Amino acid sequence: MPYLGSEEVVKELRRALSNPNVQADRLRYKNYITKVIRYMTQGLDVSALFMDMVKASATVDIVQKKLVYLYMCTYASDKPDLALLAINTLRKDCADPNPMVRGLALRNMCNFRMPGMTEYIEQPIVAGLRDKASYVRRVAVLGCAKMHSLQPNTEIDGTIVNELYALLRDPDPVVVVNCLRALEEILKDEGGVVINKPIAHHLLNRMKDLDSWAQSEVLTFLLRYRPRSDDELFDILSLLDAFLLSSHAHVAVATLRLFLHLASAHPTVQADALLRTSAPLLATCGAASRELRFAGLCHVQQVMRSQPGLFGTHYKRFFCGYSEPSYIKFRKMEILVELVNDENVALVLEELRSYCTDVSPELAQAAIAAIGRIARTYSEKCLDILTGLLGLKQDHITSAVIQTFRDLVWFCPQSTAAVCQTVGACVDSPQDSEGKQALLWLLGEHGDQISSAPYVMEGYIDGLKTELSSAVKMELLTAAVKMFLCRPAETQDMLGRLLHYCIEEESDVCVRDRALLYYRLLQRGVEETRKVVTGPKSDPSMSVLTGRQEEPISEWDSTFNTLGPLAGCDLCPQTAATSAADQPSCRAENELLPESTDVTLSSPDDAEEEISLSLGPPLSHETFEKMWLDLETLHRQTLGFPRPRAAPDTLQAALQLVKIQTLAFTPGDTVPWKAYIYTRSTETLILAELLQGDQQAPGSDESLVVSVKQQPVNQHAIRGFVSVLKSVLQTLNVDTL
Amino acid sequence: MIGGLFIYNHKGEVLISRVYRDDIGRNAVDAFRVNVIHARQQVRSPVTNIARTSFFHVKRSNIWLAAVTKQNVNAAMVFEFLYKMCDVMTAYFGKISEENIKNNFVLIYELLDEILDFGYPQNSETGALKTFITQQGIKSQHHTKEEQSQITSQVTGQIGWRREGIKYRRNELFLDVLESVNLLMSPQGQVLSAHVSGRVVMKSYLSGMPECKFGMNDKIVIDKQGKGGTTDDSGKSELGGSGKQSIAIDDCTFHQCVRLSKFDSERSISFIPPDGEYELMRYRTTKDIILPFRVIPLVREVGRTKLEVKVVIKSNFKPSLLAQKIEVRIPTPLNTSGVQVICMKGKAKYKASENAIVWKIKRMAGMKESQISAEIELLPTNDKKKWARPPISMNFEVPFAPSGLKVRYLKVFEPKLNYSDHDVIKWVRYIGRSGIYETRC
Repeated sequence: MPYLGSEEVVKELRRALSNPNVQADRLRYKNYITKVIRYMTQGLDVSALFMDMVKASATVDIVQKKLVYLYMCTYASDKPDLALLAINTLRKDCADPNPMVRGLALRNMCNFRMPGMTEYIEQPIVAGLRDKASYVRRVAVLGCAKMHSLQPNTEIDGTIVNELYALLRDPDPVVVVNCLRALEEILKDEGGVVINKPIAHHLLNRMKDLDSWAQSEVLTFLLRYRPRSDDELFDILSLLDAFLLSSHAHVAVATLRLFLHLASAHPTVQADALLRTSAPLLATCGAASRELRFAGLCHVQQVMRSQPGLFGTHYKRFFCGYSEPSYIKFRKMEILVELVNDENVALVLEELRSYCTDVSPELAQAAIAAIGRIARTYSEKCLDILTGLLGLKQDHITSAVIQTFRDLVWFCPQSTAAVCQTVGACVDSPQDSEGKQALLWLLGEHGDQISSAPYVMEGYIDGLKTELSSAVKMELLTAAVKMFLCRPAETQDMLGRLLHYCIEEESDVCVRDRALLYYRLLQRGVEETRKVVTGPKSDPSMSVLTGRQEEPISEWDSTFNTLGPLAGCDLCPQTAATSAADQPSCRAENELLPESTDVTLSSPDDAEEEISLSLGPPLSHETFEKMWLDLETLHRQTLGFPRPRAAPDTLQAALQLVKIQTLAFTPGDTVPWKAYIYTRSTETLILAELLQGDQQAPGSDESLVVSVKQQPVNQHAIRGFVSVLKSVLQTLNVDTL
Repeated sequence: MIGGLFIYNHKGEVLISRVYRDDIGRNAVDAFRVNVIHARQQVRSPVTNIARTSFFHVKRSNIWLAAVTKQNVNAAMVFEFLYKMCDVMTAYFGKISEENIKNNFVLIYELLDEILDFGYPQNSETGALKTFITQQGIKSQHHTKEEQSQITSQVTGQIGWRREGIKYRRNELFLDVLESVNLLMSPQGQVLSAHVSGRVVMKSYLSGMPECKFGMNDKIVIDKQGKGGTTDDSGKSELGGSGKQSIAIDDCTFHQCVRLSKFDSERSISFIPPDGEYELMRYRTTKDIILPFRVIPLVREVGRTKLEVKVVIKSNFKPSLLAQKIEVRIPTPLNTSGVQVICMKGKAKYKASENAIVWKIKRMAGMKESQISAEIELLPTNDKKKWARPPISMNFEVPFAPSGLKVRYLKVFEPKLNYSDHDVIKWVRYIGRSGIYETRC
């Protein structure tokens, strides 16, 4: 192994390689070279043998040549001066009569990653582009890309680019695709290879000659092309039609993506394409290899976002096999939940129930959660199953069922009575903290319907000292207070004990603060507390009734057939290939984002409203004055606190921080005190005046008044602006007090 | 594009490592080992993202194959590429095992060099690759002029999968219909899901550039011909089944060589075959599947420490046919202390390490029945967890196609050379194997 005596190994190898006896015996010599590569693979640093390996490259044995080249490519960047010695041999090979030798030498020469290589490889590459053997042309085309990546910042060589565009007409299909790939890399900064009408149609006509990998890539390149007319569009679509049913899943899916993209204005065409591709997609979901099955399932999920009904009749395909890996089972369960309808609900539930007893607790919990999702529509059947599962008396199942109950009650209030009855009758209590939290939430929220609730809760309060999770303690506090509000007589005593413990003995600050909060709240009286603590008992948005919206295809087609669907969006390492042409500048902007001038603040009044302010170009005094006189006051508000006593600079800096520009303000303690500020929000300009001690507005002696003018009008922006302004000024007030 | 390809053994030792692009550093090899192979938990996804680098991994027996990339690539393509890579390696040296990889490691590096360049797939057809790579390592001087021109024409030609000028003394064709039948059955004997995934694999040793036409008892074709009233073709079905019944194929996909346009319009499969072995077609059926075996389980719990299991298997095909390599695997609970087995046929053994009773029968004719009964002694445990009762699984091999597919004809035309369809020796074989064939108990 590489860890022990690596120097010895290298020394010994060198001795062997330089031994004339070994060199004379071809087979032994090659064996030693193989050994060097073997050590290299294992991670041992054998770069010290470079000199000996260069010598070994002068041979007629192609296999030996290949091995030596592999070695040299790996270490060339470490030993550039020695690598230059090998170049002569390589250049000689580039003129060999055998195309295979020519191609091999050219490919490896391009693979040398070291500075100054360009001058040696440029001439052979240009010669290679015109070679009569397509094997060499393939290598030379990619060589152009390699050469560019060696010196990414140099100017692009126009003649080579033109030559590559010309080679798109090459008779060899691989040369064509390699040209696309090379151009894409060379012209990356300019938005990649240009797909114009002649090129697009040429590629479409060559499609059937390409191998599947190339087809897939060409289809992705074609995403850039926009047909001029509908006639042309349909011509293209009919040319591509056969590929929707390609034997390779990736080609079929890539074709589908292109269809969806091109036909974005024709929903019926899109729907038809989805329908036709459903068969290959389903076949991929049943593919023999699990990884491909996984990829298929992920794409089915994407399609279902827009067409939930497409796979309805095939629900049995998504039943899990016993030996399938869990990542497939998870996806299949997610799909099954979406596919449930009146006809298949019984069978699907039966199937899901059998997963609930799976050996893997994670899977069992996911299955239970899936039943819970179905319960939002078919609550009765599901509740029976879930109640039955409680009877198994297994910790992880009990916990998962209780959590499912909690979510179910929240989304589906009509099942409350049944759930409460079950929870009341359930003897086992969950052991993990999530399960405990769920149970406590149910007890607190629906304590009036669970007769044994106070006694169960008392058990938790008595065992508080041994409880480790602070989240459980917080939930316990909330639940106990809620319970106190509906069943005071039974709860008062234990709530007192709980608060006492949490305030006096608890070490976790969050829990202590929460306890103090409830304590103070209860001091204000029961009615006050009730107002604060009790809220809606179910999801107020009633999302269940409206059901899942069918999303438009444009929501997801941009990430279709990339890594996105496989692992959520966080996995996409870079933007998809398509964006290169459409928006190269946009990407640059994104990278700059951390330093850019936009800031997003959420206003404290209304958490849902977000507004982003920006500074934009500065406004001159004259413009401001003119606009101020021209515009009407749209909004006037007394802020209810005096102006901050901070130094003018601090005030200016603080406002600047939230992207509000200060134009002018009156110095010191002059009365009335005035300030003029402005900012920009989404396409509107907001001007404002801050005023204190104005005689005309009664009662404003001590308080600031803000008047806002705006062009064009956007009430939402004004509200946001005022709340941002308010929070800044308040912060300043607190600081200076 | 693929930035690098790594092959590891199950311990995480690197067997092969080939980096194609600069953005993949040398530490990527180790990152994968630490984060995936040596990770404690199960594999969570076949794509693992480590430090903005995606690793696509496939496990074959004890070997991990990983493709690494920093680009947002098409996942299905990378996986298919890895399978193709496996196929190519299998074609060269057989099963993918640690030993084979170690012994052929020079060859693998050669393959990797040809298949990918700068991370882009170049040439992945086994037949075409053989032109560039010979195991012995040829010497450049010994290349004849003819061979050189062959390389040139082969890769410039319109037909990428076949080179010109192939000659055989005997023109032969081997056609295998390989099917794997998958079943999930409820304890009550209800079929929960069943499908057959089949492949038509051919080995062709034909001279010149022959044009082949392949016909099978596909429902759509048969219906079409039925309407036409002519039974011209049925008389010529020299290759196999009389094929009165037809089958409904849910979906099928073809080798690159098949002319898809002709299939769409006439449902006829015509092609110029590659030389040597290749997969002509892949298909799937879900209707009217002949389930070769029925498994009837009977599990009874006698008290807390004893289980009685009785399993009956029935073969459901022509009595003249013989099924082979039958294996029934009956799972047992983890706390099994002892097992007594009685079976009428074959051999049965309790394998404690696999928590299962394995019952093997070498051969079994159609329309027969066999039975095994076992008494399982259990250790009393205080574990409240119920035994999950994994399904009973089965393996077998039968000499017919469970989907009902029959080859009706396979014709060869070679206009330039003087041999006709009758001179070609053709062999057809049907093999039905079990895929995931499970019965719940």
